[in-house]
Amino acid sequence: MASALRAAILGHLRVPVVANGSKLLTPLWINRSTAVRSMSSHDDHLEKSQVIDRILDIVKSFPKVDPSKVTPEVHFQKDLGLDSLDNVELIMAIEEEFKLEIPDKEADKIDSCALAIEYVYNHPMAS
Amino acid sequence: MSGVASYMAKRAAQKERVRTLYRRALKDTLNWAVHRHLFYPDADALRERFDANKHVDDIDTIDRMIADGEAQYNKWRHPDPYIVPWAPGGSKFTRNPTPPSGIEIVFDYGREDQN
Repeated sequence: MASALRAAILGHLRVPVVANGSKLLTPLWINRSTAVRSMSSHDDHLEKSQVIDRILDIVKSFPKVDPSKVTPEVHFQKDLGLDSLDNVELIMAIEEEFKLEIPDKEADKIDSCALAIEYVYNHPMAS
Repeated sequence: MSGVASYMAKRAAQKERVRTLYRRALKDTLNWAVHRHLFYPDADALRERFDANKHVDDIDTIDRMIADGEAQYNKWRHPDPYIVPWAPGGSKFTRNPTPPSGIEIVFDYGREDQN
């Protein structure tokens, strides 16, 4: 049974025999520079300046914040006069801006622009 | 002195519980009201409910209120919340995971010397 199957399959197989490695076997679009290609699906890491700009924009557009006071080192509650629930709202806005899902425990620790920038910049899925 | 310390520790724990509860409730509000013009009034209403009890001092009362709030949150939790696609439970979770760094496709493997 097995040998009959094997014979049938071998009878239908056609293997191209090429004496000297022909160029035809390799697709034309492959050249030296693209022969090695990274498979990573998420290569677009954000620039630090981009992260800072976008986070500062979010903080500035928060209704209770005076935009002139916002700097990259500003502390949400001590410097901007926000309360802890405003802090939660800000972190949620940052999550939506960068399409992140920050675990509750970690989001609770982010209380300043500097920490938020550092967290988002180091997050592999921030976009 | 230790009484004050334990009081402060309890208050800190309660504040953290309230922050977490507010965060979850706010996210859940967005799950129920998927459009921004529906979400904003709901979020304001939620914030007002939290702010209404801002000045409560008694620890036991606060504990009861937090427990009550958590019970309400659990009761009205969205059955199918929005999850960011790559996060656990999301639609892209573990689909096409990024390979470890250093792994690459070599298209002309074994033929490098022939072209």
